[in-house]
Amino acid sequence: MNILKPFNWIASAAGFTTTVRVGVTGLSRAGKTAFLTSVAAALLARPSPRFALAPLGAGDTPRFDHARHLAALAADPPRWPERTDAVSLLALTASIDQSPLPPRRLRLEFLDYPGEWLLDLPLLRFSYTAWSDGMLKRLEAPGIAPLTREFLTFVRGLPRRAPADEALAGAGSRLYRGMLQTLREAGMAYLQPGRHLMPAPGPQPPWMDLFPMPGDGPLAGLMAKRYDAYVEAVKRDLASPLFAEVDRLVVLADVLTALHGGAAAFADTKEALGAAAAALRWRFSWAEAFSALTELRLPPRVIDRVAFVATKADHVADRQRGNLAALMKNLAQIPGGGVGTAHFAGASVRCTEDFVWTLEGRPVSAVRGRVLGQNVLTRSYPGEVPDQPPGEDFWAHPFLALPEFEPMRLPDGGRSGVPNIGMEAILKFLLGDVL
Amino acid sequence: MSEIRPNRPITPRIEAEDLPAARLEALPDLPDPAPRRIWSMPALVGTGAAVLVIGLSGLETVNFVADEFIRGAALGWASLGVAVAGFGLVFSGFWREARALGALQAVDRLRADLAGTDAKRRVRAARQWVRDLPEGPALLPAIDAINDPDAVLALLRSGPALALRARADALGRTAAIQTMAGIAAMPSPGLTAVFVAWRGLRLIRQVAALHGLRPGLFGTLALVRRTALAAGAVAGAEMAANAAAHAVLSSPVLQHLAGEMAGAGVAARRMVVLARAAEVACSPVPPGSEG
Repeated sequence: MNILKPFNWIASAAGFTTTVRVGVTGLSRAGKTAFLTSVAAALLARPSPRFALAPLGAGDTPRFDHARHLAALAADPPRWPERTDAVSLLALTASIDQSPLPPRRLRLEFLDYPGEWLLDLPLLRFSYTAWSDGMLKRLEAPGIAPLTREFLTFVRGLPRRAPADEALAGAGSRLYRGMLQTLREAGMAYLQPGRHLMPAPGPQPPWMDLFPMPGDGPLAGLMAKRYDAYVEAVKRDLASPLFAEVDRLVVLADVLTALHGGAAAFADTKEALGAAAAALRWRFSWAEAFSALTELRLPPRVIDRVAFVATKADHVADRQRGNLAALMKNLAQIPGGGVGTAHFAGASVRCTEDFVWTLEGRPVSAVRGRVLGQNVLTRSYPGEVPDQPPGEDFWAHPFLALPEFEPMRLPDGGRSGVPNIGMEAILKFLLGDVL
Repeated sequence: MSEIRPNRPITPRIEAEDLPAARLEALPDLPDPAPRRIWSMPALVGTGAAVLVIGLSGLETVNFVADEFIRGAALGWASLGVAVAGFGLVFSGFWREARALGALQAVDRLRADLAGTDAKRRVRAARQWVRDLPEGPALLPAIDAINDPDAVLALLRSGPALALRARADALGRTAAIQTMAGIAAMPSPGLTAVFVAWRGLRLIRQVAALHGLRPGLFGTLALVRRTALAAGAVAGAEMAANAAAHAVLSSPVLQHLAGEMAGAGVAARRMVVLARAAEVACSPVPPGSEG
């Protein structure tokens, strides 16, 4: 429920500008920047309503540089857009005819930010002790034991009453960050705190030297204080100004790479998606609305549509994309429901073409494209995509790593849109009611 | 009795091909056909006028033939023969137009079925299209053997659709050369415009005939409209078409002509693009990749 909706309707009917803010979130390396670049190209290429870049005024959030990202994709040889290391905003405006009423002004705002930071949101719900216990328990999972052994050995070796020593804190933090990097390279997704993997720009405050540890000694106390400071920073910089103001949400996840990562990586991705979904604001709260009104503020916005998108769908053949969307549906659900949700398998920037490959005497739907830096086509049949979380049998067969294909040539340098899969359906679901 | 092989899963693999390949191009999406509209005012007025003209003249003719029979059997039979022949020719013209328009709509239906998600309809549409092609007898068993709608579509793209496209491209290249030569011979810009329009129209009809369509007047108009829609989508692939046109127009004589006459080269290139657009409009196979 959104109590602002009637006011929005009246405002739009009267010809005022209505603003719809869409958050583009997702797990790390899911392709958020490419997604937003493709969205910008698709909307700017529309004949009706015609969109234009909107001024950002005197706001704090930097502009999403879609022209630079588009140029990188259109270049010859092409480059993938650089990874996001800070929050940025893409704002577009359009004038929508609604005769005989005056035309309606629509402002669409898309937020892009590092995927690593999404998993900082669940921290808001936990104390240091609860987070630390849960994290250490996850790190002890047998599937990832060789990768976490060094850090866990350090933590277990700490005396129960370890002193709040900066050298100890620094050593533990370095080990923990190194381990998080290793886990990420192994395909794990549920890695906290996110800023350990993608620090905010500028000098790092002391509370960044943080790691989970058991006990209640002085060092654990220092870690708890730093954790509280970290959570406060997340609340101040991310949750309140950005996520609290989002009307629609896109959650992207690279499920295919998780399938390649194996059972542990896949389970981790599932858990990460679940935690992220649970941390976002889905339902209207009268208490919050009342509290906001007493402080002469507008009630916080409520997300009323969310699109879960399994990205890189062009890396499997068309026949498998239905399964990929179904798998995404199985992985990502809003706790409690009550929100308009849809699940998609899409590719923001298409890199491959489908073709039939005869393997072992049988025709198989596969894809082929040029890998970055190569001038020959690479054929890929990574394996069968299951339509639900796979059982033990699935992991007995390999699901190959996805090649890093180069983007297709962009017609007209991207000015008439970017070749993609499923973007129109995603935009229709997200914005169909306002366009 | 043949040995039954266990249905074991195919081993995944990733392999690089041997030959260098160009960067993949986005293929044009054929714009959706315009939603079916109720009859417009000009259509209502035109149809009403046609009914009045044909109906009243028919009634008048019947009365006239009846009168002639009263005057004499020979006169009656002669006037009946004239009336039947005249109206027969008129109605056979109408019938031909209706068939041509119906064939165009059938292409739209087949394209929708082939692009749809219903596997049965896709395979059925593929069979239906292939049946009318010269290579149909060879392809039908292959379609029956491949129990995968995506593979069937890929087969169509890589087989008959690719062959038709190559022939349409050849027609486009021929039209390009003729346009260059024709423009050189035209005495006035006005005649040049008429000539280019006529050659473009003829090219569209040639490509349609290649796909088994025989459009009449209204069929041609409908086809021109579809081609115009497809031409917008083909703009993305114009680079490839331009390269083809460049290859055609590389003869020194034609290059000289193109250099002498502003716009002649452009008009010739447009013929190549037009052929590709008309091919997209006439083919039921949705644009995709050729396997």
